[in-house]
Amino acid sequence: MSLVLIVMLPFIGAVLPALMIRTGRNACTIATASVTILAFALLMTHVPAVLRGEVVQVGWDWLPGLGLNANFFLDGLGLLFASLILGIGLLIIIYARFYLAKEDPMGTFFTYLLLFQGAMVGIVLSDNILMLLIFWELTSLSSFLLIGYWKHLPEGRQGARMALAVTGGGGLAMIAGALLLGQIVGSYDLSVILQHKELIQASPLYVPALLLILIGAFAKSAQFPLHFWLPHAMAAPTPVSAYLHSATMVKAGIFLLARLWPVLAGTEIWFYLVTTTGLITMVVAAYIALFKDDLKALLAYSTVSHLGLVTMLLGFGTPLAAVAAVFHIINHATFKAALFMSAGIVDHEVGSRDIKHLGGLVMLMPITATLATIAAASMAGIPLLNGFLSKEMMLEEAAHTVWAGQAWLIPLLATAGAMLSVAYSLRYITQVFFGPVREHYPSTPHDPPMGMWLPPAFLVGLVMLIGLFPQTFAGPLVAASAGAVIGGPLPDYYLSIWHGLTPALFMSAVALGLGIVILWRYTQVRAAWQKGPHPQAKALFDRTLTGAVAVSSALTYRLHNGSLQRYLAWFIGACVVIGYVTFWLSSHEAGNRAMLPAAPVAIVGWLLLIGGCAALMALHRDRLLALITVGVIGLIVSIGFVYLSAPDLALTQISVEVVTVVLLLLALNFLPKHTPAESMSVRKVRDGVLAVVAGLGVGAIAFAAMTRDFVTLSDFYLEQSLPGGGGTNVVNVILVDFRGFDTFGEIIVLGIAALAIFALLDGALRGEVGRKLDAWVSTEQRSMNRHPMMLVVATRVMLPLALLVGAYIFLRGHNVPGGGFIAGLVVAIALIMQYMASGFGWTAKRMRVDYHGMVGAGILIAAATGIGSWIAGHPFLTSAFEYFTWPLVGKFELASAIAFDTGVFLTVVGAVMLTLANLSRIGRRAQHQQINEQPMDVNPLENTKN
Amino acid sequence: MTFELPDFSLAAAELWLLTLGCALLMLAVFVSAQRHTLLYGLSQFTLAGALGWVWWSAPESRSLTFNHHYVADDLATLLKSAVLLLTAVSLIYTRSYLERRPHLPRAEFYVLILFAVLGMFIMISAHSLLTLYLGLELLALCLYALVALNREHPPALEAAMKFFVLGALASGLLLYGMSIVYGLTGTLELHTLAAHLSDPASLPDPGSLTHLAWGFALTFLLVGLAFKLGAVPFHAWVPDVYEGAMTPVTLFIGSVSKLAALALVLRLLIEGLGALAVDWQGMLMILAVLSLTLGNLAAIAQHNLKRMLAYSTIAHIGFVTLALFAATPAGYHAALFYILVYALTAAGAFGVLLALSGEHEAQTLDDLQGLNHHHPWLAFLMLVLMASMAGLPPLLGFYAKLIVLQALLDQGHLALALYAVIFSVIGAFYYLRVIKRMYFDTPTHAATPRPARDLTLALSLNGLLLIALGLLPGLLLALTHAVF
Repeated sequence: MSLVLIVMLPFIGAVLPALMIRTGRNACTIATASVTILAFALLMTHVPAVLRGEVVQVGWDWLPGLGLNANFFLDGLGLLFASLILGIGLLIIIYARFYLAKEDPMGTFFTYLLLFQGAMVGIVLSDNILMLLIFWELTSLSSFLLIGYWKHLPEGRQGARMALAVTGGGGLAMIAGALLLGQIVGSYDLSVILQHKELIQASPLYVPALLLILIGAFAKSAQFPLHFWLPHAMAAPTPVSAYLHSATMVKAGIFLLARLWPVLAGTEIWFYLVTTTGLITMVVAAYIALFKDDLKALLAYSTVSHLGLVTMLLGFGTPLAAVAAVFHIINHATFKAALFMSAGIVDHEVGSRDIKHLGGLVMLMPITATLATIAAASMAGIPLLNGFLSKEMMLEEAAHTVWAGQAWLIPLLATAGAMLSVAYSLRYITQVFFGPVREHYPSTPHDPPMGMWLPPAFLVGLVMLIGLFPQTFAGPLVAASAGAVIGGPLPDYYLSIWHGLTPALFMSAVALGLGIVILWRYTQVRAAWQKGPHPQAKALFDRTLTGAVAVSSALTYRLHNGSLQRYLAWFIGACVVIGYVTFWLSSHEAGNRAMLPAAPVAIVGWLLLIGGCAALMALHRDRLLALITVGVIGLIVSIGFVYLSAPDLALTQISVEVVTVVLLLLALNFLPKHTPAESMSVRKVRDGVLAVVAGLGVGAIAFAAMTRDFVTLSDFYLEQSLPGGGGTNVVNVILVDFRGFDTFGEIIVLGIAALAIFALLDGALRGEVGRKLDAWVSTEQRSMNRHPMMLVVATRVMLPLALLVGAYIFLRGHNVPGGGFIAGLVVAIALIMQYMASGFGWTAKRMRVDYHGMVGAGILIAAATGIGSWIAGHPFLTSAFEYFTWPLVGKFELASAIAFDTGVFLTVVGAVMLTLANLSRIGRRAQHQQINEQPMDVNPLENTKN
Repeated sequence: MTFELPDFSLAAAELWLLTLGCALLMLAVFVSAQRHTLLYGLSQFTLAGALGWVWWSAPESRSLTFNHHYVADDLATLLKSAVLLLTAVSLIYTRSYLERRPHLPRAEFYVLILFAVLGMFIMISAHSLLTLYLGLELLALCLYALVALNREHPPALEAAMKFFVLGALASGLLLYGMSIVYGLTGTLELHTLAAHLSDPASLPDPGSLTHLAWGFALTFLLVGLAFKLGAVPFHAWVPDVYEGAMTPVTLFIGSVSKLAALALVLRLLIEGLGALAVDWQGMLMILAVLSLTLGNLAAIAQHNLKRMLAYSTIAHIGFVTLALFAATPAGYHAALFYILVYALTAAGAFGVLLALSGEHEAQTLDDLQGLNHHHPWLAFLMLVLMASMAGLPPLLGFYAKLIVLQALLDQGHLALALYAVIFSVIGAFYYLRVIKRMYFDTPTHAATPRPARDLTLALSLNGLLLIALGLLPGLLLALTHAVF
């Protein structure tokens, strides 16, 4: 259980600093430190067991369905890292207490720090690789908060974002890698995965899994070419740099490599990928570090370089190299954290981190100088310090490692790396603390308070102790953790200062000598360096970003320029492509139904239809002509209905055509007569091609359907029309009876449409449109005689006749062509003619019908008919009919459907007239006319007087 | 001709919504729009009541009614509850926004939202092609109107116009596909359809003419579905609508309506045509890959946050489509889980925008710049939301991606899983940019007024839920798992 507590303590404790900050900075620090101390103490209780080689495990199922279990385990490797994290964490907390200025919100800082600490401990103690990843990304997030802590520094922002982009992105890649590993093994538990080396390395998924995991690990550990984020993250407060970038976060990648070493290492691809990356990183970063003037940048690149060293060792894949790697992890953590803290002290007390402004500090701040010198000497690999021991082991391993048949390559480069390491380490000492004392420092240098130098002093103490007595102070830990990494018997090795005259010693001596030479001739070396190229990874990163944004912008502009036409083209184009692909992937032959002979009439109709459509295309800019062509097409369609023996449809079609054309004419009156040509020819071609292709597709489907026999529903209606609906006109019976519900819905839609037109026009007339219309001057030439007498007289005579025809069509509808809908249209046309011939005012005075009410009444009547059948105990709209014999007329059928049809009739008339009335209101407004009282412009009586 | 009275109690929530929606419509005619609290309260009451009805009427086992046109099952209960809760939350986010803008038609907004919810309910509970289409159109019509609601804002009108034209086209194609299905099987009901296809003899032989007909049917159906989901290349409306519509409407479209879109897919493609998975899988794969690619790449360049979220939606839809592509119960489960998580996260993200909208409508990255200075808590919530969208553990978004990837890997689709991961990494970039702007840039605007208390509370719950469920994802997983 205590394992879980070790992980959870920092998380739970993270609220403490936020709460305690009110009681003072010291209380806050003590609270934070006590959390860490408690966790550390708990960890220590497990030390004896782990050093004996036992593995402490605890866990329970969390999400078994996902393979995500809350399992923790502690072995040597976990112990090593957990102690580093918690131990150095404690030192950092003390250090930060004195480092942070009064105005810095310390509570927030410690909260973030504890969150980060918890996440790190979580990584190293997780037994489940998915849970490990969760903690992994948590470190990215919390480190983001820590790096960005100093909000007022612009580099801080850039650094934080880059750090998160690189490590967070790498983490996502690793998730995929971990999933693959789990897929291979069948479990996400590390303790299970680690047992299946052969299975994993034999799997075809091994290479992708390895690549993904390496991307994540290299990103986190700042390995080449993903190393560029680390130096930029240095804008963070120094305690953060010291903690994250020396001891913990950057080591998470290394930790993972070590953790999975037993199952992933040993293959050729592992060797070449990991060793090469580590080697390049080691040399390149050391080279860059040599010329950095910013103390923290120098340390940052040196960190990258040392991480490269460890990576390379792990890449070798031999047990001895693994031991060396583990040992170097310990050593690097101690001296690098001490160095960062000393750099922080210099920055804090002198006010600058720039080497060019420093120098001669040894007399001014002797304690700091001593500590920094010892730590840097350890980094340089000077004997008697711990850095020397692990470097020696590294060189020993490098000396006999062959890279692609080249035995000299790795030893040479390793020596070069060591040489550069010596040079920059010594430069750190000589150019900061030695040399002439400057006259002006940004602020007066002096040694810091004890709380600030004590933590690095403690670490430096460790550096020396391990350097002098490696077996005593580091031996057990190295043995335990190396054992965990190797996962088998430990190789034969012994930690001591003197190994005899080995190649490693020779290489080490060469490195030391050459390093001193470089420093001695630093001015010349630097001049040479200045001539060389300086690839800026950050610039590259920025350029990549700018490029990505540019590509993205271009893409967006191409696809989403806001043009609906383009969207439609994409849409239809995609449909056409998918449709044609589907077509070609299947067999497709025409049907074998016998073709009907083409009658001459049909051919003429077909040609007319095509001609009409073509004319519409050609004339569509001239709106009136276009309207006429549309009318022609409609007429041909009606003739088609007649030809196919559907007189009802033909009648309806003709009436609808007439009403539509009239209403459209009224509306077009207020619009320009011509549509301007706006489309470019490219677009026309594109749309034309799409139209042709889509049309061909639809035509092919129609052809395929019509060349096959099919069963039709018509027979049912034909048979049932008379017995079921009491009418012989099947179309009408379908409309008002079989599918009366449809019709009911349709008349409601019609009514709503009329109301919507009313609402739109009414609303528009009150607003800006109304003002525009008032100011509108028509350019059209108009006839003086607005209401020709011929027309007036004719319509007067026609009206009763038309109404009679309407009534006739309505009544006979159930058995022969006709019905409420057509009758409604006929009556509406007759009434429209009155308006057109005699003028609106005159007609409106005599037609005092509320069209709103008419629409409503129609729908209500239809609904009442439907509900009536409920009363009779039938479903909605069940029809009933009876036959009566009237005098004069004879046998007449009275069906409930007639009432329904009346509703339809009223709605149609009301809707059409409502639309018309509103359109004509616009007309009057535009022509600035008074409502005319007379049916004709010229009073005939006045004419006779003259 | 038999006539039986349907079991209305199963559809109690729909009837309740219909009744109260109509009541609100009538009320709006007689009550001044200034009485916002009344309209708002009544809408929330309707939603709460509907939730009660959903739970009350939830049957023990899957039940059909309305002549098998309507189904009540666990999926319906889950999705309807989610729709109601998210809608209620959206209304909380929206209240002060509407209050500050008296020129917006408020009553219409609430009525349309309620009817849109009704449409979604019908879609979710649809058990025939007919009901599916009915619900779909009811929802779509409400959405068109909602987008156009801000009549004085030309981009809104333009967006509504595009949405309508493209939407009508997509609906038409969907309907055409449905009619071919009907022609091939002679049934509209989903379970009869599934039963018809489950008979191996009736499965079309590859290469046969029936197969071609099925191919066309699936093509047209998928075009319609892809449009509703917003998958590439039928996504063109998404960015324009997200940007043009006022933020409350974007919030509604961007979060709640996605649930209904998934319901449509689950009902039609999985329940009805699951046996034809081999035939639709390929098309889904293309949609998914294109969506992931375009969504993530295009989002990088967006300065307008609503537009960025639009492209990110497309990318997320790519993920959902990938999960469906797996065509296994695990995949369907992953899709459901993903869409729920996404809806929750998107609601929060738009909620933050609404919280920041004073007189000025917050919608660009500049509006978020330096948010941490003015509203640290809002900035933190946005951080959580963005990180969850990016799929960073331990937030809920991570598990959503995780189970999708697992479902894919279980079926051996390694390349697709990798592709999805690569584009998640690219996607993480633009979410992180939002975080960076909030935390590390100095604000250019004066502080917006403190958001209303109920808004902050709901938003906090929304954000914290992502963390809480991220720590205990089992709770939500158990809910979604019970469905399949």
